[in-house]
Amino acid sequence: MVASDSPFVVQMQDIVKMFPGVRALDHVNFELKPGELRSLVGKNGAGKSTLMNVLAGIYQPEEGKIYVNGQLIHPMTTERARQLGIAFVHQHSQLVPALSIAENIFLGNPLTGGSGFMAWKRLNDEARKRLNTLGLEIDVERKVEDLTVAEKQIIEIAKALFANAHTIILDEATAPLPKDEVNMLFDFVRRQSQQGVAFVYISHYIEEVFELCEVVTVMRDGQIVGDYKVANLDQAELIRLISGTRVEQFHRESRNGSGKTVLEIHGLNRPGFYQDIDLVIHEGEVLGLTGLEGCGKANLARGLYCLEPLGKGQVVLNGKPYHPDEPEAALDAGVAYLPRDRHGMGIVGMRPVGENVTFSILKRLTSRFGLLDTGRERKHILSFVEKLGIKTPSVNQPVEFLSGGNQQKVVFAKLVSAEPRVLFLDEPTQGVDVQAKVEIMKIIDQLSRQGVSSVIVSEEIREMLDVCDRILVMYNGAIVAEFKVGDPNFAAEKILMAVEGEREAL
Amino acid sequence: MNNRKRIVWILNNLIWFLLLLVVLLFALLSDRFFMPMNLTNILLHSTVLGILVVGQSFVLITGNFDLSSESTLGLSALLGAWLILPKGAPTFGGGLLLSPYIGIVAILLIGLAIGWFNGFLITRLKMNNFIVTLAMLLMVRGVMMPITAGNTMARLPDEFKFLGAASFGPIPVAVIAMVIAFAVGYIILQFRPFGRSLYAVGGSPDAALAAGIDPDRRIRQAYLISGVLAAVAGLMLAGRSGVIVQNMGKGDIFEVMAACVIGGISLNGGRGSMFGAFGGVLLLSTINSGLSLLRISTFWIEIASGLIILIAMLIDSQKIRYISSQVVPLTKLEKKPSAEAVSGD
Repeated sequence: MVASDSPFVVQMQDIVKMFPGVRALDHVNFELKPGELRSLVGKNGAGKSTLMNVLAGIYQPEEGKIYVNGQLIHPMTTERARQLGIAFVHQHSQLVPALSIAENIFLGNPLTGGSGFMAWKRLNDEARKRLNTLGLEIDVERKVEDLTVAEKQIIEIAKALFANAHTIILDEATAPLPKDEVNMLFDFVRRQSQQGVAFVYISHYIEEVFELCEVVTVMRDGQIVGDYKVANLDQAELIRLISGTRVEQFHRESRNGSGKTVLEIHGLNRPGFYQDIDLVIHEGEVLGLTGLEGCGKANLARGLYCLEPLGKGQVVLNGKPYHPDEPEAALDAGVAYLPRDRHGMGIVGMRPVGENVTFSILKRLTSRFGLLDTGRERKHILSFVEKLGIKTPSVNQPVEFLSGGNQQKVVFAKLVSAEPRVLFLDEPTQGVDVQAKVEIMKIIDQLSRQGVSSVIVSEEIREMLDVCDRILVMYNGAIVAEFKVGDPNFAAEKILMAVEGEREAL
Repeated sequence: MNNRKRIVWILNNLIWFLLLLVVLLFALLSDRFFMPMNLTNILLHSTVLGILVVGQSFVLITGNFDLSSESTLGLSALLGAWLILPKGAPTFGGGLLLSPYIGIVAILLIGLAIGWFNGFLITRLKMNNFIVTLAMLLMVRGVMMPITAGNTMARLPDEFKFLGAASFGPIPVAVIAMVIAFAVGYIILQFRPFGRSLYAVGGSPDAALAAGIDPDRRIRQAYLISGVLAAVAGLMLAGRSGVIVQNMGKGDIFEVMAACVIGGISLNGGRGSMFGAFGGVLLLSTINSGLSLLRISTFWIEIASGLIILIAMLIDSQKIRYISSQVVPLTKLEKKPSAEAVSGD
């Protein structure tokens, strides 16, 4: 590394990056000091990943200069970026899953002790020693595939540090991590930044920005909106800066509908997951179900949609016993489920938007000889694309090419097509931008007006407060608290306390 | 934008342009190529391959393989004939002398049985589809040997030979059967809920499950279709050659896979159409026939087939790259609907 007088470890000046027809980066300036914890936020397509890809040498900019430690680097390539100490930790782990932590750390540089054979003991000892210097006490013989997402990111950061990285770009996982994992990751990142390592944290979750970083850089439409001290900002203000327009925080007019019972659960037990669940869902009600990761809330929703064993107990839907044996039967009975893992379970990415909307109702769109009535199908698809405001160049576009928010709306269109009575929505707003979140809330509200009940299974308590009539908290497999809209207790702090298992909150 | 659509359309239908090119090339090189005899021959020789490809396509679209279909073809035809032919030379049947129609029904049932067993092992016992059907490929072929002690069965009855050898005027029944098989396959994949759900299963089994489609059931059904069509192909091949030999259909699976792949059916599941697969079958048969017309030795034919597969794969990978590089990011789309843009995010 070249010593220099520059106070910045990284300096990007007037960066312009063109993609056919679009200025993806429009004269962007970006600077980073050693040991800084910087958050980079913006909507999908705002240019944050593009900017970091330019810094890491993955994209070549049309104009602009990049300085590292005061030295002009041209051109920046991935190879040079690595040599100069810039590391990019991607959302999806770049580690080899089938190998141990120690093997991954020494990947491409195996310790053979001169014998030509793997020196396992030395490898493990050396890996342990190196991780210890970073304050990590980890069983290095564990396979990477058994690690949690946060642990993998920590190992990747550690690997970069062993290669003398001083600037680490961290692309946040699209799926929210459980709280304890986030804490573990953030603790580690903070400690490293105190040692002088600079971090750029590309984030979708505003709460995490406030927790981790001191300064947040907001991007919009390929330009920097500004750098802001987190201490001087509140969440609403940051959302406004990201979206550029004042997004009305969606507040639902609360109405409990007819009060008619739709789904009733009595004494439902699944040992190891949940016990003694009693639950009533009313027509048109929006019910929130929250709790820590592993409290049983997601298992309950998946169980009711036959993706997991439901356990023993009484379940009544519209006055009739509800015992489906597979998702198809659940769907026919009037229950639909929006999976948390959109890419794995929600969409069939390679297939067109249109097909994704009608996959679950193909049987209902047939006419003579059991053949699909493609005219009716098309009408159905177009009406939903319009109703839900799905932005796509064509219904023949593969869904994987849409933005996260639009993908999620396609999943909603698919569910609503089946005309369900009760919708289970597992983290419905995850990985979508702020505006799409509001639109999804509006969809839930509209459904409620039509008498469709929704159960939102989520850890995003602030979002749930905006839309739910009632929020139930689960702790260790039991429903421990109920909060109704209008109650003085219907507030984030009280609910959070219940989530953490503090009984005084009730 | 229009230009882009045209390119994508051409890329999606490239198989037919390739076919046209190959036909023109052979027509230039050989004046016998366009003779009706030769054209009928090309079609006739593509029939067995075509029927196998229809069945295989269903399985491939679900994201699975059926390597066993060439052996299913052999065993079903052999057992069907065994039921109806007398003992001893030159027929080498079982001496049961059942009606040929029962023999034909038996052939179809054997195809279904093998398909069912494949599906059972793969979906109920969760065994790897490649390995299961590879094992079946070997086992089913092996079972053929002791039944006739390795002898060739001859003197098949006319009912048995109808599908493979009869013709309506100048048009062979086999060609009609193949065209019907592709047409029905096309209709099922495009317009039947069952066929459409296969794409979801192949694209993402978990998403299919969450959408109320049982992926395992669909996979079992696809194997049944593949099994029964392999049996139909067996009856057809037996009829065409007039005899049943131990190694009938042996090695065909490579051509089947090649035709599917050239025709745009993805080996990863979720992509492809019957129309394309039909083009793949015609292209392979045309190349085979054209090269032999030019009296080029068989090893060149094999090299050419391999080369065609590589070219088809190359085009396919470049096509996917082209299409995904042309994606218009939607945030930009709102403002400038005409922009042909690529997003980095």
